[in-house]
Amino acid sequence: MSIENLSTVYFEAMSAPPKYPLRFLRWFCREDSLDEIEGDLTEVFLKQSATAPRKAKWNFGWSVIKYFRPEFIKQFKQQPNTYGMYKSYFKISLRQLIKNKTFSVINISVLTLGFSCFLLLSLYLHDELSFDMFHRDANTIYRITQQERQDNGTLRNISSVAPTIGKEVREQFPEVEDMVRLSAFGRVTLGNDPTNRTHERALSADANFFTFFDFPLVEGDAKTALKEPFTIVVSETIKEKYFGAGAALGKQIWSGLRRAGQPVYLTVSGVMKNFPKNSHLQMDILFSEATWHSLYNDYTQYVTTEWVDTEYTTYLKIKPQSNTALLSTRIEALVKNNYPADREFRSSFTLQPLRKIHTNSSQLESAAEQFNVNSIKPFYLYTFAALGFVLLLTACLNYMNLSTAMAIKRTREIGTRKTLGAPKNQMVVQFITDSVLFSLLSLLLSVGLAYLVLPWINVFTNKEISISSLPFEWLVMVVAVILSVGILAALYPAFIATRVSIVDALKREIKIGGSSLSVRKALLVMQFAISVMMIASTLIIYQQLNYLREKDLGFSHENLVVIDVNSRNLRRNFETVKSEFGKPAEVLRVAASTRVPGEWKSFPVATTKSNQNTMGSEMIFVGIDRDFLETYKIKLLAGRTIEDPVADSLKIVVTQLAVEQLGLTDPIGQVVEIPRVRYGERMEELDTPFRVEIIGVVENFYFESLHRKQLPVIFGALNTAIQVIDYYTLQINTSNWNNTLETLKAINHKIDPDTPLEYTFLDARFEEMYLADARRGQIFLVLSIIVVIIASLGLFALVSYSVESRLKEIGVRKVMGASVSSIVALISKEFLVLVIIAGAIGLPIAGYYMQSWLQEFAYHIPFGVLVFAEALLITLVIAFITIGVRTARAAVLNPVNSLRSE
Amino acid sequence: MTQHSLGEFEELVLLMVAAQHDEAYGVTILEGLEEKIKKKVNISAVHVALKRMEDKGFVKSRFGGITEDRGGRRKKFYVITALGKKMLDTQYDLRNSIYKQIPKISFG
Repeated sequence: MSIENLSTVYFEAMSAPPKYPLRFLRWFCREDSLDEIEGDLTEVFLKQSATAPRKAKWNFGWSVIKYFRPEFIKQFKQQPNTYGMYKSYFKISLRQLIKNKTFSVINISVLTLGFSCFLLLSLYLHDELSFDMFHRDANTIYRITQQERQDNGTLRNISSVAPTIGKEVREQFPEVEDMVRLSAFGRVTLGNDPTNRTHERALSADANFFTFFDFPLVEGDAKTALKEPFTIVVSETIKEKYFGAGAALGKQIWSGLRRAGQPVYLTVSGVMKNFPKNSHLQMDILFSEATWHSLYNDYTQYVTTEWVDTEYTTYLKIKPQSNTALLSTRIEALVKNNYPADREFRSSFTLQPLRKIHTNSSQLESAAEQFNVNSIKPFYLYTFAALGFVLLLTACLNYMNLSTAMAIKRTREIGTRKTLGAPKNQMVVQFITDSVLFSLLSLLLSVGLAYLVLPWINVFTNKEISISSLPFEWLVMVVAVILSVGILAALYPAFIATRVSIVDALKREIKIGGSSLSVRKALLVMQFAISVMMIASTLIIYQQLNYLREKDLGFSHENLVVIDVNSRNLRRNFETVKSEFGKPAEVLRVAASTRVPGEWKSFPVATTKSNQNTMGSEMIFVGIDRDFLETYKIKLLAGRTIEDPVADSLKIVVTQLAVEQLGLTDPIGQVVEIPRVRYGERMEELDTPFRVEIIGVVENFYFESLHRKQLPVIFGALNTAIQVIDYYTLQINTSNWNNTLETLKAINHKIDPDTPLEYTFLDARFEEMYLADARRGQIFLVLSIIVVIIASLGLFALVSYSVESRLKEIGVRKVMGASVSSIVALISKEFLVLVIIAGAIGLPIAGYYMQSWLQEFAYHIPFGVLVFAEALLITLVIAFITIGVRTARAAVLNPVNSLRSE
Repeated sequence: MTQHSLGEFEELVLLMVAAQHDEAYGVTILEGLEEKIKKKVNISAVHVALKRMEDKGFVKSRFGGITEDRGGRRKKFYVITALGKKMLDTQYDLRNSIYKQIPKISFG
């Protein structure tokens, strides 16, 4: 740009009145005064700027501000007028709503569905994200987790550490303000009434547990409740169970613990409120740590010197702004320094924030399930959040679609308004009022619906969600999202309606709808893409669930009752116990074993070596008796099973997978070596490597849930040092289970009067493994049905509109001899094409998503094209029915009626 | 109608409108006033006065044609009404009669 040019530009810029004051003036000034004021101001400005341009600008601005007074501001004089208009908008909207009943009902119900799903999913997400946040110091509490490198290079991630670590960390590092340790020691039998005793899962905690966490006590003192030995704090539920209503503080209860051969009586030192459902810790009974110090002589020494065992879940309260990464490396150094010299140290430590425990613990091994209750993977949180928005989106797309169709029907109204001088924005406001009215009504209804559905959802998800549990900011956010989306949805129809030219509008020429029709088709494609996606996902989920249920696990789990062994009496002389349990006629077979399939305690995993596999492989070790294979119908492929617990104590039976991993070709008679065994958390070197001979090979079977990879299994005799009997499995005739149960209880009481019978149906246990998956499947099913309903309603509306505007064409076609079916086909065709396009968009997305879901399972269905074809077919059928119903109604109409109205 | 009052500045503007018969609009009035009273006057003050007097019925207005010079805005021309003239006359008579009562004393 040349200098001359620049200077002219500069001059022009200087000689025009300043932009912003002018804009401001135009904005506030009354229309009838604007000409005079702006004109005169400009004239004065131009005259002045010839001599003093800068001053002229200032003057202009200053004058504009001086005009900002009631006489010249438009709003003040227009106020009553606008109010009247709003009243009119509202009235017209209401009349429209009442006039088009079908449309309104469809629209409101769809919006209500979409909104309530969004609301409920928000509530659900909030609940998941607010886990453990009710503690006052939630943001400064961390859990120490341990990462331990394994022989085969993988990492074990454990949520608990050695008992000494917490204590030393608390004493040595100043940034650690407080520390509490929890340990699970299994279960204890409780009950003052000898005929009515039960096993209760129990934990023990350091004395400061109730001051560290904010779990309120109903009875007892938070500071001293866990101080004394032989005291317990119980939940309200447990208190009610053993002491009924009324106070329990100071009362005593018989326990299965023994001290010098005598049963120990425990004193209730506190009653805690039942833990809120959104806590990752769920416990009913807490023992004081002092109990163990008094009960076992070497316990104090163990707790103060043990650096290897990982039995203590340890929480730290850290000063704000401390460097947690640094602290964890210091913990690592501390443990390394104290680690026993004969053990290789290969662990590292991480501080896991309390607020992340719920969502980030799925990869962690835990000492007890109470420490990670219902932990959820972030994958599912994202999925549910996405689903919420998808549903809201489809509902709004549907609203846009229907409103646009209706807007075109209202062209005469719009034409009349325009002729009478309504400005464009008035029409927009009219449509927004419509939309606000619909949104508000739907919002109210959806809150009502959510209230009604919540109790059912709470049972279903085992949560305590209520609308009032949503904090104010979330509520505002959710309502804001819902309303703003509802209002945004009105902008498109408003835009379409106001673009219509007056003449066309009055002539009811709906051709202008042409371009809007294509947009609405695009909206429909989006809706159906989402529907196809949801249908395909649901199909895959259900196929996978079915696969899990139907999959041949390699053994039978039907009609098997598993009895837990909880006492010495039941464990000793297992042959006698077996024959006792085998006496009733309904019991067909009894087997004793150390572990059972679908195990809920941890498996001992034996590292097994052979000449071909000197590194060794990890295999599940299970001790069995001679009836085990037959009871579980596990197929013996070669050799024989364990016959006698003593004679066969150095013999094993292995699965095919074990044979493969050991690299054996002729396994029978081969000798393998077991140098060490891992019990859940602990790895133990056996004093002398256990050398055993393979005497049989069985078919592969799945010992655990199909989420995990199949491990090879070794069956040994019961009389090995590795594990004691923990279960009897009874194959029974279930025709009269209640009677059988009574008989079994009686037998149990005879053998051990102190311990109640504990039993499980094995198939129920297997169902439970996939319960979370099945629930998610059901949620998906319900949501996809809702999405499909919404999309179908949208399609129905669009087809209605299309049919109505082509009524004359249909009439002419019929007169010329077209059949009903050919007319249906004609109109269906163009919509079915849309559905197929939707499939092309939605299916790849579903495929991608489902692929990552199936990775959750070590074993899953093959990923085929067939399921996508099915999903598309289902969608097409639904779409065709929707279209067919509407088109057929138009097609059977007598052409006289449609052609007469010219 | 007599309850309508006429402020001092309004009176000046009204006089100017009357003086510039049929040629008076915001800018000419402003310039006329500035020339006579030798003081800077803000245009907004003139407009406010004009607006008030129009509401009181002392002046009436009409719009001129659209020109390019003023950002395409029309001029609003003012003329004095009979009521306005009567008001001026009353004011003038009032002042005159009081003025005449001033004793003939020399103010040096």
